[in-house]
Amino acid sequence: MSAVLLFAFPILAIVLCLVSNSRRKIDILVVLHALLHSGLGLCAYIKRGSLMGMDDLGLFNFLILSVIYAAVAFYRLGHKDSSTLKNYRVHSIFLMIFVMAMDGAAMAKDLGLIWIFVEATTISSALLISYSNSKRSLEAAWKYLFICSVGIALAFAGILLLVIAQPEHATLLIAKIDLSTISPFWLKISFVFILIGFGTKMGLAPLHFWMPDAYSEAPAPILALLSGALLNIAFIPILRVDKLMRQSGMGDLVQELYLLLGILSVFTAAVFMLKTKDFKRLLAYSSIENMGLIMIAFGMGGMAYYAGYMHIVGHSLIKAAFFLTAGNALTIYNDKNYDNTGGLLQINRGSAWLWLISSAMLIGLPPSPLFTSKFLIAISLLKNGSYLYFGLLMLLLAVISWAIFNAGLKICLGDSERKKSLNVWLYLAPAGLLFIAALIGIFLPVMN
Amino acid sequence: MLEILIVIFGLSLVWASVTNMLGTIIKILVVQGIILFGITVLKTTQFNWLSFVTIALETLIFKAVLIPWFINDTIKHNHMRREVEASVSNFFSLALMSLIFILSFALAAAAPAWSVKVFPLEFGIAFATILKGVFIIIANKKLITQLMGYLIMENGIFMLSLSAGSDLPYIVSLGVSLDIMLSVLIAVLFIKRIRSTFDDDDAPEILREDI
Repeated sequence: MSAVLLFAFPILAIVLCLVSNSRRKIDILVVLHALLHSGLGLCAYIKRGSLMGMDDLGLFNFLILSVIYAAVAFYRLGHKDSSTLKNYRVHSIFLMIFVMAMDGAAMAKDLGLIWIFVEATTISSALLISYSNSKRSLEAAWKYLFICSVGIALAFAGILLLVIAQPEHATLLIAKIDLSTISPFWLKISFVFILIGFGTKMGLAPLHFWMPDAYSEAPAPILALLSGALLNIAFIPILRVDKLMRQSGMGDLVQELYLLLGILSVFTAAVFMLKTKDFKRLLAYSSIENMGLIMIAFGMGGMAYYAGYMHIVGHSLIKAAFFLTAGNALTIYNDKNYDNTGGLLQINRGSAWLWLISSAMLIGLPPSPLFTSKFLIAISLLKNGSYLYFGLLMLLLAVISWAIFNAGLKICLGDSERKKSLNVWLYLAPAGLLFIAALIGIFLPVMN
Repeated sequence: MLEILIVIFGLSLVWASVTNMLGTIIKILVVQGIILFGITVLKTTQFNWLSFVTIALETLIFKAVLIPWFINDTIKHNHMRREVEASVSNFFSLALMSLIFILSFALAAAAPAWSVKVFPLEFGIAFATILKGVFIIIANKKLITQLMGYLIMENGIFMLSLSAGSDLPYIVSLGVSLDIMLSVLIAVLFIKRIRSTFDDDDAPEILREDI
């Protein structure tokens, strides 16, 4: 019943959107969808397995999506843009389709179905990125659609190889794959393709090219969902095949690949964060960095595995809040170059504090959950004797922290005579996300 | 007959490595689409009208006619230069293609306990096609050439699905169809949207942009 509701309501809402003649009504439909999503997520958490037998990995991502989608839906109540009603309607419809596709990917246990849903997220979100219909946004959406499609096609090749790996009764239902007969040779090659394919969608270096452009052009609420939820969704199929690899005794290869991609992503992010002046691009590179850290965590295994999950939830909430705050800053300055901004503390105190708190939590100052996750990753590296990785990672994280704070201080400090007030939802939505992130950071579930 | 078609398909990759003209790559896409139709028909054991129409639509209509026609139309409409403008020379491209063939067939040969359902020749060519598609995307700056690289890669994936045998999980068959739909969407809708959004002076510039 709840699963029917999860997909039937947005379909009904889409139909109502088509006949709706005001933005307000469309906004309310999106809010109702978001609230229903959160409610169902909560029910699924209380009564495990109630939502189409969703497992813990799916539920974990579903809950993150619920929280961010709720914040985005409320943020939109206060977010004004100059688009026509027709464009706004199309945008809202694709927003709901995008969320439905992510729900499907979180709930599905069949790798083929996950692939289909991830492909659906690419198509729907490409249209959301090109919302402003400007030359730059269309180029960014094209780049996103093209590079992610290449990645997804490679992932599909990986799925076909997984079929080849099974000599008899091939299935893509992860739980039903017979590991006693599977060919380790083909499983290995399949995993590499799946990692590269879905890794492209995650924005892992060296296949991250789409991310800075897409993030620079997409509207703030979409960015919150892209960075906070979609990147995690793209990680689900990798984790599902990762389980097969580890159970087949090929965990070492998985860990080496994760570490390699992870450190490369953090390095790429650090280099480009020093160069860019566009604060939305800066946050895009920060997403690449955090995806890299998540890969390092899963690559280390042991307690870093726990840190990986902690990092996913922390990054999702904080980055979504940060992108919503960046949307406020863009509304105020109408310029993404932080050298042309300044004095946000005087122009709009609320957004300035949100920016500074987001910066502090993103670099991992307590009570951010990223403090714990980064700490555990560092400890794991030391425990494993990976001193070179540890030293390199600390250096890169220091560079990245400097870049984030440098931008934040330039935006927030300085003198300005201007005053600009914003709708209350534009503060409440990111503040709510940061508050939840802080609560998670303070009341961390006790590690076993 | 089946083997001959697969070998011709492989030769089309060599042809793609030595050409400098966009028009030739379009012809290669047409040839590959027709060959894929032929391979699928030859591998069919039980005739079924519905699956025949689906395969004909996917291979002949989309891969061999609609997409190549649309790319050709885009090139003409935007008065684009007819050269591929690759970042690497033909010699390098050909040498790399040879390496790709060696790697793909080595992979096919190295595979332990070959399943009876997999064709090594078909697998080797399919794998080489995927890698060749990726190489074209990486080695070319022109968006339209990269799109052709993507379509060649898609043809490789289609062939890989054929080499994996007929008892594929239904979801894989669905995925193959969806993948083709996505390539159509990318090739047709998005470029059309870009073209219609900007006036004639701007559009060629966008379509020539590096990715």
